[in-house]
Amino acid sequence: MYIKKKKTWLRLILAVMAAGLVASCETGIDINTDNQDVPIVYCVLNSADSFQYVRIQKTYLIDQAALDYPPVQDSMLFKGEIVITMERWSGGKVMETVRFAPTNEIPKDSGFFPYEKNILYKAKAKIIANQIYRLYIYLGSQEKVLYSEASSLGNLTVIDPMPLPQRKISLYPGTNYTCRWQPVENAGVYQVSIRFNYKETIGGVAKIKYLDWPQTFASPGSDTEYLSNDISGSRFMHILEDNLTSVDGIVREVIGMNFQIVSGSMELKYYIESTSPSEGALMEKPVYSNITNGIGLFCSVARIDVNDLFLSPVTIDSIAYGQFTKTLGFLDHTNDRDSTNKL
Amino acid sequence: MIKKLAIWILAGLLFLVSCDKTPVDPPDPTDNNKPKISGTLEIEFRVPGSFLPANRVLRADLSIAKDAESLYKGRFLQMANVYNSKLMYQFDLAPGVYYYQAGIICVAEGDSCSAASFPGGKFGMKWAIGTAEVKQDKTTHVVPQFTR
Repeated sequence: MYIKKKKTWLRLILAVMAAGLVASCETGIDINTDNQDVPIVYCVLNSADSFQYVRIQKTYLIDQAALDYPPVQDSMLFKGEIVITMERWSGGKVMETVRFAPTNEIPKDSGFFPYEKNILYKAKAKIIANQIYRLYIYLGSQEKVLYSEASSLGNLTVIDPMPLPQRKISLYPGTNYTCRWQPVENAGVYQVSIRFNYKETIGGVAKIKYLDWPQTFASPGSDTEYLSNDISGSRFMHILEDNLTSVDGIVREVIGMNFQIVSGSMELKYYIESTSPSEGALMEKPVYSNITNGIGLFCSVARIDVNDLFLSPVTIDSIAYGQFTKTLGFLDHTNDRDSTNKL
Repeated sequence: MIKKLAIWILAGLLFLVSCDKTPVDPPDPTDNNKPKISGTLEIEFRVPGSFLPANRVLRADLSIAKDAESLYKGRFLQMANVYNSKLMYQFDLAPGVYYYQAGIICVAEGDSCSAASFPGGKFGMKWAIGTAEVKQDKTTHVVPQFTR
């Protein structure tokens, strides 16, 4: 009698437990773990600048479709203490230490991600050629130190173009311009960029405008004397045609051209290669990172600007009357729109 | 006999299949891709020596015009990009007589440029002007001569 009663109780307890188990079951499965707040750091040391900048943010994770819901500003920034220092090493010794301070002096372009508060960290530091720089970032909220190391580049010497306005640039179909520079120590990638300056007048209102035309990346070659990049005159005319619009009554005047020659370190080269479009079957490539305890990039660039160069009269006339650009409203080198005009 | 006949039928079929019946377009009279009649003007752009260091007197301009008036008025047919490291410059031109101008510039400090007879001192320029006849499929070689 006692055993039978005990069995009944046992069955009752088991039934209650089974009912509880069934009631607590959910069909949904969490495929994401909690956000790890991984630090993302970008710092490109620029030898052409007296100030250096560090950008630090963190990964964010939301439950909704990410492309429909932009993150809120605070979900991308670390709270608490952030200490950023950089050391310059030479001959195995620390030669200089600088500390970065927060600034929001550089606005961020509008877009998907929040741009109201663009917090960067800034330090006054002139980058010395051929030195080792070490970056330390302490995150108080995570009690974590991020670390990275990069070498600064050697000096960049541009051979052509020279900063000589009397030497006019010719860029028209059949005539290319060759930009030359000496190889830079520690550099892994180079890029020439051209800025075409012009004045645009429409409805009596004149504006100074420009068109940037970056050239393809160049790698250090075997030629030890100099490196070069050919800029196509035909392509220049097509670039103008593709990027400027024809509007009735518009008058444009050629002002000139600026050249910007940039050399980047090996780290920057790896980063560019890892973020460039994939070819072949392997479509997803891991993005290069050299930040310990985080992701991002710490690298260096050297830059030379050669500004205020003039275009040759033949180039200006080609822009004014050439088959690709004649509808863009450019004046010829005599500031006229009549090719038959006699001076 | 049957074997020969089969070979002939096969050959005939192959011939028919390989025939392209697409009509051939007549030549376009306005086609600009036909080879142009031209010759080459080669200019050996020497920078004259002086007491100034070689990197203080530089090539600055090399332009071609159809006649003297166009040259004077700056209506050039072609202008080369000149470089310190390049001596020879070539222009493809239709046969005829052309005017060329070559300019050098002094970038030395102080009164060095004036002493080297560059007008206006620093950034003063000297010019060499001449003519050259370009002949079909030939290369005409000229060396601009600067006055001292």
